[in-house]
Amino acid sequence: MRRAARLQLLLGLPAVALIFVFMILPITNMVEMSFRTPGVTEPFGNDYTLMHYGRVLGDPYYWGALGRSLLVATTVTVLCLIVSYPVAWHLSKADGLKMVILYALIASPLMTGVLVRNFGWMIIAALNGPLNQSLLGLGLIDRPLRLLFTQGLVVLALVHVFMPFMVLPINNAIRNISPSLVEAAASMGASRSATFRDIVLPLSFPGIQAGVTLVFVLAIAAYVTPALLGGQMVTYMPTQIIAELTGTFRWPLGSTLAIGLSLTTLLVVAVFTLATWRLLDRVRA
Amino acid sequence: MATVEVKNLRKQYRNVVALDGVSLEARAGQMVTLLGPSGCGKSTTLRCLAGFLEPDGGDVRIDGESILSIPSNRRGFGVVFQNYALFPHMTVAENVGYGLKLRKCAKSEIHARVVEVLRLVRLTGLEDRLPREISGGQQQRVALARALVLKPRLLLLDEPLANLDARLRDEVRWLVRDLQQQSGITAFYVTHDQSEAMAISDMVAVMKAGRVAQFASPREIYQRPAERYVANFTGEANILTCRTAVPAGETRMRVGVGGADLEVDCAPAARTAGDVELLLRPEALRLAGPDDTAAFRGIVTKCAFLGASQHCEIELPDGNILKLAAPPNARVVPGESAGVVIDCTHAWAMPKVPA
Ligand SMILES: Nc1ncnc2c1ncn2[C@@H]1O[C@H](COP(=O)(O)OP(=O)(O)OP(=O)(O)O)[C@@H](O)[C@H]1O
Ligand SMILES: [Mg+2]
Repeated sequence: MRRAARLQLLLGLPAVALIFVFMILPITNMVEMSFRTPGVTEPFGNDYTLMHYGRVLGDPYYWGALGRSLLVATTVTVLCLIVSYPVAWHLSKADGLKMVILYALIASPLMTGVLVRNFGWMIIAALNGPLNQSLLGLGLIDRPLRLLFTQGLVVLALVHVFMPFMVLPINNAIRNISPSLVEAAASMGASRSATFRDIVLPLSFPGIQAGVTLVFVLAIAAYVTPALLGGQMVTYMPTQIIAELTGTFRWPLGSTLAIGLSLTTLLVVAVFTLATWRLLDRVRA
Repeated sequence: MATVEVKNLRKQYRNVVALDGVSLEARAGQMVTLLGPSGCGKSTTLRCLAGFLEPDGGDVRIDGESILSIPSNRRGFGVVFQNYALFPHMTVAENVGYGLKLRKCAKSEIHARVVEVLRLVRLTGLEDRLPREISGGQQQRVALARALVLKPRLLLLDEPLANLDARLRDEVRWLVRDLQQQSGITAFYVTHDQSEAMAISDMVAVMKAGRVAQFASPREIYQRPAERYVANFTGEANILTCRTAVPAGETRMRVGVGGADLEVDCAPAARTAGDVELLLRPEALRLAGPDDTAAFRGIVTKCAFLGASQHCEIELPDGNILKLAAPPNARVVPGESAGVVIDCTHAWAMPKVPA
């Protein structure tokens, strides 16, 4: 083997080991677990069965949780894209101190711990919390609104925390667009909106795709925020999975649900990628 | 066809003065070249014309009307960029047709005009390729086609050939010139290649640190430069400081250089200047034969055979070095002494300007 090839292999080894230990092994373990029989005193039995798949597929309760998760993740992704694009655009045009400050502000949701952040939302959205107080004070409402433990609040909190994952790749993609393309479009008679529609938006698509994929995957798997801000009345897939794994101790059932969620996520991402393949292929550098 | 007047254009970036009063004009159908070293403000001038930059002062008039308040997308100029600036996600035909599409032309008309202009730049058959699927020279021709298809009032080209190799540069250069002349479009062309500037322009503006050092025809710029800077930038130049210089007639002076006393043409400003320099292009000099009286004698320091001629350098006793071309078969030996004859009709006296 050539020296360079050996070196390459060596450099790749830590990553391969990491992926093997923390990804391949656990997933294999989880797949195996999903075929186990339920245990009586243990979390799982010793034999193998397909019954959990039958049960999950046949129960509208689980389909409901999956549907809600999909709906919340999709809503979060779309809203995130809408609010992030203009932010990313401004960030991409900023330089010097302004850029540093903007980066810090945009990354700020990630700088607080997940529990602290969600307790913050609980305080803000409480019946007599600052949000209701201000709305009352402004005379926009006459009774405090019930905001806590609603899907709306879950969506809002997730959009807030996942925004950096949308802003940063889009910012990157816009920065990669040569300013002379915009000038060229202008010299050909394109207004600012036409330039945006025909040049900037399509060419920033690699960033949009990365952001959308990241946020969707993160949102559909989010656990803490829905658990804390969504209340006990509605379940989402991740909260349901945790409930089975640590509440009822039905590990095989929990594993089956987890696999269902993973496959669904994979399917959505695959469909999105395929649907946008042509566009991405055109704009790739 | 449009006449363009650029008057006293000024532009300052934070602490750099990029344009310090640039004035130029292009008559209808002319090709005007901005020539100068890197950083002298060529692109800045062009970008002010295109409307990508707002000058701090001065005016740009087209057919007598100021255009500074018109945004770049309504100026109707064609711009060709050094890096081509083709839209990477559009095919060749879409790139060229984009401006027509914005003007809401019918599909069939767009198609016809795109096909026609691609034929002019000899790119027929590449309509459906993406920019990344064609060569650099082809990309540059697409950029040219894209600017021409809109029949612009003014064509602006910023070092359009800089990224091409020497052969392609030659080919595309003539194509640019031919198309510009055929269509009669007034054009501004930026380059730092003097031979390119000479070859294709009607007028050349030699720029120096944000100013126009000289604005004249290529012949004038080469044969009658206003100062040393222009002479050096427009070709091989031997420049000698004159010992004495006295006006002799309307446009002539008697100057003393080395062991010679010559009567030569001069720049108007040289007649009143304190110090005068004499420009001797290589073609103003030749090696002295047995019967010639040499104006200078020196030692040959270098001789390179170039094929059609030999490039020689001769060091004079005062340390100056003369570069000249000798016939291919002349016997020139480094280290030996040689005489040089001056052809006064190709000599030119100019004022000495502090650098
Ligand atoms: N955006 C900018 N910010 C600050 N200074 C600039 C900017 N653009 C240009 N300059 C400065 O202005 C001067 C003129 O620049 P310009 O781009 O016009 O030069 P140029 O003649 O086109 O040079 P080149 O042949 O290298 O393209 C240079 O000193 C350059 O450093
Ligand atoms: Mg330039």
